Order: sequence, then structure tokens, then C-alpha cells
Amino acid sequence: MAFLKARNLRKTYRLGRDNVVQALRGVDVTVEVGEMVAIVGPSGSGKSTLMHILGLLHSPDRGDGPPPSLVFDGKDVTELRDRERTRMRAERIGFVFQSFNLVSTLTAVENVALPAEYAGRRRKTALATAAEALDMVGMGDRLGHRPMELSGGQQQRVAIARALVTEPALLLADEPTGNLDSENTGELLELLRHCNAERRQTMILVTHDPRVSEACSRVLTMQDGMIREG
Amino acid sequence: MNLLRSLTRRKLRTALTVMGIAVGILALVVMAALATKLSALVESGSTYFRDKVVVTGVSSNPFSPALALTPLTIDVVQQIEQVPGVAVATPRILLHMNPDDPSNAFQLPAYIVGYTEGADRGYENSPTRVAKGRATGPGDEGQQVAFLGADLAREFDKGPGDTFEIRGIEFTVVGVGEPTLMSFDTSAIVPLTEAQAMLYQETPIVVERELDPGQLTSMVVVYPEKGMDTGLLAQRIEENIPKVRAGTSTDFDDQFGSTLAIFNMIILSVALISVVVGGLSVINTMTISVAERTREIGIKRAVGASRARIMRELLSEAAVMGLIGGLFGLASGAVFIYGANQVGETSGTVLFQLTPEIAVLAVAFSTALGTVAGALPAWNASGLDPIEALRYE
Repeated sequence: MAFLKARNLRKTYRLGRDNVVQALRGVDVTVEVGEMVAIVGPSGSGKSTLMHILGLLHSPDRGDGPPPSLVFDGKDVTELRDRERTRMRAERIGFVFQSFNLVSTLTAVENVALPAEYAGRRRKTALATAAEALDMVGMGDRLGHRPMELSGGQQQRVAIARALVTEPALLLADEPTGNLDSENTGELLELLRHCNAERRQTMILVTHDPRVSEACSRVLTMQDGMIREG
Repeated sequence: MNLLRSLTRRKLRTALTVMGIAVGILALVVMAALATKLSALVESGSTYFRDKVVVTGVSSNPFSPALALTPLTIDVVQQIEQVPGVAVATPRILLHMNPDDPSNAFQLPAYIVGYTEGADRGYENSPTRVAKGRATGPGDEGQQVAFLGADLAREFDKGPGDTFEIRGIEFTVVGVGEPTLMSFDTSAIVPLTEAQAMLYQETPIVVERELDPGQLTSMVVVYPEKGMDTGLLAQRIEENIPKVRAGTSTDFDDQFGSTLAIFNMIILSVALISVVVGGLSVINTMTISVAERTREIGIKRAVGASRARIMRELLSEAAVMGLIGGLFGLASGAVFIYGANQVGETSGTVLFQLTPEIAVLAVAFSTALGTVAGALPAWNASGLDPIEALRYE
């Protein structure tokens, strides 16, 4: 059963008067429920742009071609307004970024609680759930630490706990091992595989790291804004 | 908790912004307290004149009769009493305590008031109340006794039984009044005959030759019959009696109300300018704060914070800065006003009146100011593209 079904995704960025970059040139992609998919390809091939559109952070372009469509767990989300896309991000999607992107003034547990609060949970409940999520990623003894008091590997675990705290149906990760050493990379992949297997969470990982793509059930390769093979 | 953490992230900057607001609110509180005090003075004067008509010579101002160029003669009192609608007319003398320096900026002028207690036959609705001792009475005529207003008694530390020198003559103080917020507070009430003698000294020689002191008065206070309109009565008096001016509370309001309104507008405008500067510093601080936190805002937006949520977080910070600034401004304003009034009390110059309304409005205004000033940076922040914001270095 398809969890994500995207058709005719195009995205053009204008980076100056004469500098137009066609990041996506009509991408069709389908991801099944519970799949763990790696998107690989050279820098500038459109991997991150595709992830941002699939994660409802950006909308595909309209015009100049067949109309785009994006179906998320059976719901057409192509035309959703910002408010609805934001709510879906809070409730249904978890994000892991390359540079961890934790809020420096908040403690680990407060960082992890953010999506739960945004999804409408009471602060106390959100913090309790966040503590459980941190425990699950092996960070149960670092709840009150600020990001700067944690190593890179620990920060990425916190970021993963944040992505999982609302038990989202979809987890998107952009270069999740980009700043990790091989030991931490192994632990992170083990964690992701565990969640994928235990929770049937659909995962899409943008990566340059062959160890990540090897851990996935399917690999999509992008080049020049198109998927070359699927 | 998070809010305070965000605010204390840049302690010096937040402190400076809060101080900027505090200074603005300090100015607003002090100026508003000054305007309130002046308004109260004018209002109490207007109330005092509401049930009477004040008659002076045509060259005098009914509300500044101490500056009379020519006094009235006492026979005008009988003439006024003949005017239909007049219940009682009583002579009253008003003289500057210090004729060499009658002007007294930002302070009630000190007056000598001479009248015969009881001559109003109960029509007078004077706000003077006895705090200590007794009021002067009809039996005091010919005696050198005085009843002192509250500020005057405090300034010279006088009470019943003390002597008080007025224009070189020693008067025995028989009583002290309660504060009225009116010129009574800085006045000494003496028997009419004593005031007449002092008025006689001031009278031009030409007039002096023709009159006895007992024939002089600087004004006549006229009490209308019940139901009689004071404006109409004033008109009748001016029509029936030559060379007099009759003033009512409406004239008083015309004379002082508009001047006061302009004055209040000017001082409050000055205070508002200070507050606007405080508001601009909030905008500046919030703009820098938002710029510094672009990435953080991007993270929050990416993981599901709505625009409204981001707005709310930032507006709360701005509002709290406004609130704290307002509280500091109010506190320092209250200290300033207390100190100034303490110093002023000894010289009879109580300039400021800080009311609960001013306090509440000042804090509410500064909180609202913080919120409004934070609105634009917060709006801009909430509209950031999450991905662009995440890439921000």
C-alpha cells in the first residue's frame, strides 16, 4: 500500500536575476508503508528539495507541465495551506537534519518535547513523552543537558528522539550521519532500523553515505533533478 | 520559564531595552501625576465657584481679584442684594501674602483672605474643614487672629496658639484647615476688618483720601436664591450695577480649563515622545533577537510550530519586556514623585498626584507598547521559510 505517491514534482529556484536552478524536473515517486528508502545522488541533484516537498516544508511548482500531485497516506496534500501543512508536520512527520538543529537554549528533553507540544499535547505530557523517547535512544540520563553539553553523536540521538516523539508515520532524514563518526553512524542506523521494523514507520533518508543506503530496503538515485532509477 | 531564558540570553541588551522603556514610563508617570494634580486644582476651583457669582471691579479678574487695580466699595454689597435672584452678598478681600512676589510658578499663590465668618448665612459650601483648633467667627472681628490653610501651617510649622506674622503684623493662629487641594491650603483667613486695613495700605492715595478702610472690599461673593441660574444672575448684576464684573464657574472653566488642557497636552506629549523612544528600542531589540534566532525559528517551524505559535512566543517576550519596563518606570516614578512631594511639602509646593489609575494605565500601556513594538519583528519571523531559516548562518 502506497504511503506516499508523488507525481510531476517540479521545483525551480531563482537565485538572482539570471540564475535559475531547476532543482526538480518532474519527479514521480511512490513509497510504500513501512519502507526504508535511501535517496542518493551527487550534490545539487535535487535530493534535499525532494525531501522538503515530501515533508511538506515546500510546495511543488505549478504550471509549465502536467499538474503536480502529492498523496500522503491516502490524502491529497498538494494544495494544502501553510497552516494545515504545519499541523501535518507536527503530527505525522519527523525530521532529522544533518547538523542536528537543536535549539541551543533548551535542554535535551525540552528540545524533544517541541513537536509534541506543537501537536497539541500539554507541556507536562509532552515532557514525559520526550523523556521516554530520549530513554529509547539511550539518552535517558541526559535529559537536562543543553546541546552544547553533548557530543555530536549524542546530539544526533536527541534529534532522532525529537523526530520520533510523536510517533510519526513518516520519518525524513537529511544526511543523518553527515557529522557522525563510524561508531555513532552504526548505532544510529541500528536505531533507525529498529524503529522501522518495530513501529512500521516509513523512512526516507537522503544520504551520501553508502552505509546508510545499504541499510535501506530501496535506493533511489537522483541526477539533474530527476530520479534515474527506482 | 523558556520565555525568561530567551530574555536573559542577552542580558545586557534586554536590560538596556527594559531601561529604555522604564525611562519613558517614568516620564509618563511623572507628567501624568503633574497633569492630574493641576487638573484636580482647576476642578476643585470650578466646583467651588459652581454655586456662586463673584463680583469685582470692572478692571479686575473675578478669579484673580488680588490683582485688583481699584477696590470695590462696600456699598456695592447692598446694591447687589437688591438684584432679583440674589440670596446673600458678602464682601471678601483677597490679598497676596507677599505683595512683592505674587507670582509663584507651579504653586498655589499664598493669599490673605478676609471675610466675616457667618455672613453668608449658611449659603457658603466651602471645602475648608477644621483640622486643629477652630475657624474664625463673627466675634473675631477686630481681633488679630488667623486660620491657616494646611500647606501654609505645615510650611511655617504653625498651630493653634502660635503667632504668625502677616505683613509685619503678628496674628494669633486659632486653627488650621484640612488639605483641600485649593488655594485655601496656602491662605490665611483673617477677620474682614483686618484684611480691610491691609487692603487700605495697598490702595492708591487718590482712593485712600476719599474712603475709610471699612468701606473697602476686593470682591463680593454672591449666593443665588435656590433654583437661580448663576449665569443669568451674573448677567443681571452686570446690567444693574455699573463698573463691575461678575464671574461664574463657566467663566472660570473658560479661563483655566482651556489653558490647562493645552498645558496637559504639551507635558503628556513630551512624555509620550519618551515612551515612543522606549518602543523603538523594543523594535530594535526584537529585530536583532529575531535575526539571531532565525535558525531556531526555522527549526521550530520545521518540526511543526505554526506561524501563530512563533508570533505568540516572540510577542510574549516583547510584552514581558514592556511589563518589566513599565513596573520599573512606575516604581522609579513613584519614588521620584514621593521625593518631590516631600521636598515640596516644606515649601507648600505639592506638585504631583499619583493615582491608582495612572499606575495601572502606565503598566498596561507599557505592556501594550512592548507587544505592539514586537509585532512587526514577530510577524516577519513567523513568515520565515523554514528551510531558508535553517540554512541561515
